[in-house]
Amino acid sequence: MMRDDTLHEPDQALHVEDLTVTYGANPVLWDIDLDVPPGVMCAIVGPNGAGKSTLIKAALGLVRPVAGHVRFLGRPIGQMRGQIGYVPQRHSVDWDFPTTARDVVEMGLYRHLGWLRRPGKAEHARALAALAEVGMQDYADRQISQLSGGQQQRVFIARALVQDAPILILDEPMAGVDASTEAIIIALLKKLRDAGRTIIVVHHDLTTVQSYFDWLVMLNVRIIAQGPVSETYSADNLRAAYGRHLAMIAVPAEEPAP
Amino acid sequence: MTAIAALLSSSIVQTVLVGAAILGAISGMLGAFAVLRRQSLLGDALSHAALPGVCLGFLIAGGRDLGSVMAGAFATGALAALIMMLIVRRTTLKTDAALGIVLSVFFAVGIVLLTVIQSEGGSGSLGLMTFLFGQAAAILRSDLWIMGGIGLAALMLVLALWKEFKLVSFDADFARAQGFPVTVLEAGLTVMVALAIVVGLQLVGVVLMVALLIAPAAAARQWTNSLGGMVLLSALIGAASGAGGALVSATTRGLATGPVVVLIATGIVVVSLLVAPGRGLLWQAAATRQARARISDGRVLATLQGFARMHDDAGYPSERGMLQVALGAKPPAARLASLESRGLIRSVMHPPETTPHWELTTAGHTEAAALSGQPGDTAKGGTE
Repeated sequence: MMRDDTLHEPDQALHVEDLTVTYGANPVLWDIDLDVPPGVMCAIVGPNGAGKSTLIKAALGLVRPVAGHVRFLGRPIGQMRGQIGYVPQRHSVDWDFPTTARDVVEMGLYRHLGWLRRPGKAEHARALAALAEVGMQDYADRQISQLSGGQQQRVFIARALVQDAPILILDEPMAGVDASTEAIIIALLKKLRDAGRTIIVVHHDLTTVQSYFDWLVMLNVRIIAQGPVSETYSADNLRAAYGRHLAMIAVPAEEPAP
Repeated sequence: MTAIAALLSSSIVQTVLVGAAILGAISGMLGAFAVLRRQSLLGDALSHAALPGVCLGFLIAGGRDLGSVMAGAFATGALAALIMMLIVRRTTLKTDAALGIVLSVFFAVGIVLLTVIQSEGGSGSLGLMTFLFGQAAAILRSDLWIMGGIGLAALMLVLALWKEFKLVSFDADFARAQGFPVTVLEAGLTVMVALAIVVGLQLVGVVLMVALLIAPAAAARQWTNSLGGMVLLSALIGAASGAGGALVSATTRGLATGPVVVLIATGIVVVSLLVAPGRGLLWQAAATRQARARISDGRVLATLQGFARMHDDAGYPSERGMLQVALGAKPPAARLASLESRGLIRSVMHPPETTPHWELTTAGHTEAAALSGQPGDTAKGGTE
C-alpha cells in the first residue's frame, strides 16, 4: 500500500494542528490548534484580517501552509475530496459566466462523474433536487447573471449540497443577502446539522452567533477561543478577539454594561 | 460574379481561405475560454513574445522554415509566460504590470533581432516582416496540415475536457477544493492559446494577434447564454473574420492581412454590442424606454382615477390643465394617444369648455387599480 491509512484524530470532523500560514513575511494564521467535533454547527468569527477565510482555504488545501497539518475525520484532505462540500464567497466568481443555475449545481457532481463523462439525466435530477432544497427549483434554467445576490448564494449552497457530503464548509454565506434568504439558509443548515452533518461557517455577524450556532471558533491570527457557544461566547473572549472598542451589542446579555 | 468565382477557384486563394478559416476557428474557440478566465491580455503578451522566437527560428533554420519558426515562437512565448508567472508569484507586482513588462521587453528583443537579420540581408529575410502584421498570401498548402493538426488537437482537448475547462473557467477555487488538477488544466488552456497564436502569426501577425482571440469571444458572448453556444459561435465568428480578412488582403496588393481580419472581427463586435437581444445597448435602451413609458402611463391613469374618486364619478372628465398640474409636467401627447388606442382612456368634450378632456374607461380603472395595488372601483362602473 502506497497510501497511508493510519487515521489521526478520527473522532474530529476537522482537526487542525500547529497550522501556520504566511503571506510574504506576515503570518496570517499563527500556530492554529483546532478541533471541530462531528454533528455541530460551528461558526468561525473574528475581525477583518483575522484569517478566517485563509483558515478554511488552508484546511481545504487551497492555500499552502508553512507548517502544521489538517485532518478531516482522521484523513488528510487528499483522501476526503468529494466528501467535503465547499461554498466559496459569492464574489469570488464572475456571475456573468454564460450558464444556468442548474448547470452550476451540476458542477458539484463533476468529480463524482469522473473524466470524460458528461452529466446526464441522473445528474440533472440530482441538481434539481438540490435546487429544491434551497427553494430555487423554479430558477433552474435561469441565467445566473439574472439571479439576485441571495439567489446566487443559494445556488452556490445547492452546488455543495448535491455532493451529499458529511462535512459542509461555507465562507461568509450570509454576506450581502437579505433577511429572508438568511433565514432560509440558516433553517437549511440547521436541518442538515440535525441530520448528522458537520457545518462549518465563516460568519461575520456577532449578533446572530448565539441563535444560529452551537459551536464557536474565535480567531484573530491565533485561536482566541473554541468550544460550545455557551462556554466560548463571553465578553472576555470577544475583547481578546476584537479589541476593547468592540460594540456592546455583541457582548452577551448576562454581562453588566460597564 | 465570374471574377469572384475565378478567384475562388484559384488554388492559392483556396489555401489562404482554408488556412485563415481554420486559424480563426481555433482562435475563436480558445479565445472564449481566455476571455471568460479574464486572461485576454495574456494572449497579447504571448503573441508579442513570439517575435524573438520567430527570428531565432529563422536564424537557426537559416531560412523561412515554418516548423522551426513556429517552434521558436512557441519557445519564447512559453518562456514569457513562465517569467510572468514568476514575477506575479515572487514580487509584489500585479498581473497587469508583469504583462506590460514582459510584453514590451520580448517585443523589443524581437524587433532588434529582426533588424539584425534584415541588415545582414540573406534570402527571404524580407518575408520575416510579414510576421509583424501578417500576410495570408504567405500560407502554403503544406502549412494547412500543421494548422489543421493543431486545430484538431485543440478541438479534441476541449471536447474531452469540456466540463473540467468549464469548471476551472467559472470557479477555479471550487475545482481545486474538489481535487481537480487545476494548475494542469489551466496550463493546458494556456498552452493551447499559445499554439493558436503560433499558428496564427503568419496570418495576423504578432501585433494584432490578440484581437483574433478576444473579438470573436466578446461578440459571441452577446448572442448566447450557454458556454457551448459561446464557444461554437466564437469559433464561427473567428473563422468568418479570418476568411474574410484573408480574401480582402489576398486580392489587394500589399495590404497586410492582420489589420483587415481585426477590422472585420471588431465590426462584428460593435454590431453585437449594439443589437444583440437582451445584452445589446440598443436593446437595453429600448427596454429602458418601455419601462419609462410604463411608469408615465401609470401616473396618468392614477391621476385620472384620483380625480374620478375625488368627484365620486367614475367617468369624470379631467381637463388637460388639471392633469398637467397634478403630474407636474405636460402629459406627453404620444403617451395619451397610446393609452387611448389601448382603450384605457377616452377623449371627451365637456361643454361649454373647449379644451380636451379625458375620462377613464372601465379597463382604465382596472389597470389603474392594478398598478396602484388597490382594489378597483370598477364595481361602481366606468362609462362602459
